[in-house]
Amino acid sequence: MNNEEPEKQETSEEIINPVVSMIMSRMRVPLILLIVIYAISIIGLISIPGVDDQGNPWRMSIFHAFYYVSFTATTIGFGEIPYALNDGQRLWVICTMYMTVVAWLYAIGNILGLVQDPVFKKARNEYRFKKQVNKIHEQFYLVCGLGETGYEVVKALTNEHYRVVVIEEDPDSLLESNIYDLQEFVPCLIADASIPRNLQLAGISRSNCNGVIGATASDETNLKLALSSKLLHPEGKVVCRSDLLSYEENMRSFNTDYVVNPYNTFADIFSMLLHSPSLHLIFDWLTGATDSQITDEPLNLNYGRWILCSYGRFGHALYQKFLEHDVEATILDSDEAAHSRFKQNNIDQQEDIILATGIDERSLRKAGVEDAVGIIAGGADDSNNLSTIMTARQLNPEIFVVARQNLRDNSELFERVKADLVMQPREITARMIRVLFLNPMLCDFLKIATKQDDTWSNIVISRLSAVIGESKPHIWTTEITHKQAPAVYKAIALGRRGTLDCLTIDPLSRDHRLECIPLLLVRNGDNLLMPDDETEIKHGDRILFCGMREAMNSMNWTLNVMTSLNYVMNYENEPESYLLKALMRRRFKGRDRRERSR
Amino acid sequence: MNSEKVLFSFFMILALTLNFGFFIGEMDNAAHHNVYELFAVIIVNLIATILKFGDRSRLGPMLLATSLVALVQLISAALVWTFAVHIQETGLTPETVVLIVSLSGGAVLANIISVILLMIETTMLRR
Repeated sequence: MNNEEPEKQETSEEIINPVVSMIMSRMRVPLILLIVIYAISIIGLISIPGVDDQGNPWRMSIFHAFYYVSFTATTIGFGEIPYALNDGQRLWVICTMYMTVVAWLYAIGNILGLVQDPVFKKARNEYRFKKQVNKIHEQFYLVCGLGETGYEVVKALTNEHYRVVVIEEDPDSLLESNIYDLQEFVPCLIADASIPRNLQLAGISRSNCNGVIGATASDETNLKLALSSKLLHPEGKVVCRSDLLSYEENMRSFNTDYVVNPYNTFADIFSMLLHSPSLHLIFDWLTGATDSQITDEPLNLNYGRWILCSYGRFGHALYQKFLEHDVEATILDSDEAAHSRFKQNNIDQQEDIILATGIDERSLRKAGVEDAVGIIAGGADDSNNLSTIMTARQLNPEIFVVARQNLRDNSELFERVKADLVMQPREITARMIRVLFLNPMLCDFLKIATKQDDTWSNIVISRLSAVIGESKPHIWTTEITHKQAPAVYKAIALGRRGTLDCLTIDPLSRDHRLECIPLLLVRNGDNLLMPDDETEIKHGDRILFCGMREAMNSMNWTLNVMTSLNYVMNYENEPESYLLKALMRRRFKGRDRRERSR
Repeated sequence: MNSEKVLFSFFMILALTLNFGFFIGEMDNAAHHNVYELFAVIIVNLIATILKFGDRSRLGPMLLATSLVALVQLISAALVWTFAVHIQETGLTPETVVLIVSLSGGAVLANIISVILLMIETTMLRR
């Protein structure tokens, strides 16, 4: 019995709006004071004898007294109504005026104090946020941390008209990012994302919470966040950013769906570049942000020796890629600890590291900058990186420059220095998270593409540029299921033979092709890279398309509307209404049987 | 002894007793029902209602509801009185007095429920 009671108490508290009950309990004293003073004033007015305009004895009624006190207390002051007061009444009215004004000031001051109260503000914001989250009935994503990464992710998701809920600890970064300019309304909570209660407020355990993205700057917070979201909502997808290896391993240990480490991710991208500059260009096209600049020339990269400045997490990840691709590299690092770490890790390549800073001319010459093909300025300090690049350019103007930019504010400087490739940890993370959430199939595509040779990449580039031209490609995934492609699903169920061709024909004019190409077809776990037009579509196929956004809209007609599909597949229209269906059933039955036997 | 509890119960019971005092008497006889008593009933009921604001006990919402009912009844009675005397200037006819008194009778009932709820809550706390 005793155990039950506190629980019930809690639920009843949850139901009552905390803001209203806070106002009510704070306003108790001022309101009672106001009522008492009004009552005293009224009693005084009705008990003092007066005279009317003819000089007869007269007493104010309660109604008149209430009227009089009301306009006096609110400092409106209509005058002596209904009859002129005598001096006794005037004496009392003086008292009334001061008493009521003080009572009103006290009440108003109390309300203003409450509105300013940080506890009240917090309660009000939380309540409003909770209501906004509860109003979301479609699928939504929870983004924690609205730094550069978080904002990029939120923008990408809202551009695709997904609903997003944000938790951010720092009110300043909320102000800095233009969260109100996005395509969808985004509810924000200023709170610590590592506290489970705040995640609950943001609707993490609601069934329509599709996934959680941990994009805060702290690995610790991301770890806690991943942990609590796996416990509170195991079905949801969790993607976390992590800079340090120990945290990454910890996150993976409890099945965090994806851990994005910007350094390893960039190393993978760089590896693509070493493998084939065209492949890197494809990657850049397909994963870039919607508003990013498109270049259609692959980066010009020669085979030869590289110089890698600073051997930290970033340097280590990149050096592994050099080893993989059998590319010679010289490392410059002035830190003794990094030096010995390198020598421990790479026993066979002891000569590859030089103990020098890499920012001055002497050490760069020592590393042989004149005959190197590329230099990577990968330190944690932006000024050092910039200095390295400028010195290296002076010594070898032809050198390929990769720069690591740590702070967003330095963007202008990095643009001026004209590095061939700029690595921004936050941008890389946002890019990966965007791909993982919007087009997980794109990851598979890129994985397979890495195994192809340069010629293949060049063919893909020419095909892509033929379709999309100069504009930014749109990527989408189509699944041949009853829900996502009802018309195609039904046609296949009827036994008609559908090919990829049908999907890429314009449903408005059969002679035209939609501006898109299929990149990957997944059937029962088998991947078919760049499937050709004659590929037959089966139930459950997942197809990754790349092309113009308008092409996707047109394709939706074919996927969803039987008449469009019939037109595209060159079939006669079937009746859609019940009456016609009943009348024409016989005729169409015969036709379909014929089709099937063919 | 909790002084807040004393004040709370005091106003609730005073609201009931004053209300009852106004209500009792011949239904249509204006002499049995004093206007100042009605004024006092309204003031005390107002205070009792505000005391219940933000009361987070389990019966809190019920207590507040009964007080609000009583208040609505009493204020309508006062409005009827004002209409009769000041606006239509018909004076207190027996029909008007019956209406006023029956409205205050409803308020008595609401106040009784309120006091019963108060008693229930108190006994529950004891246990």
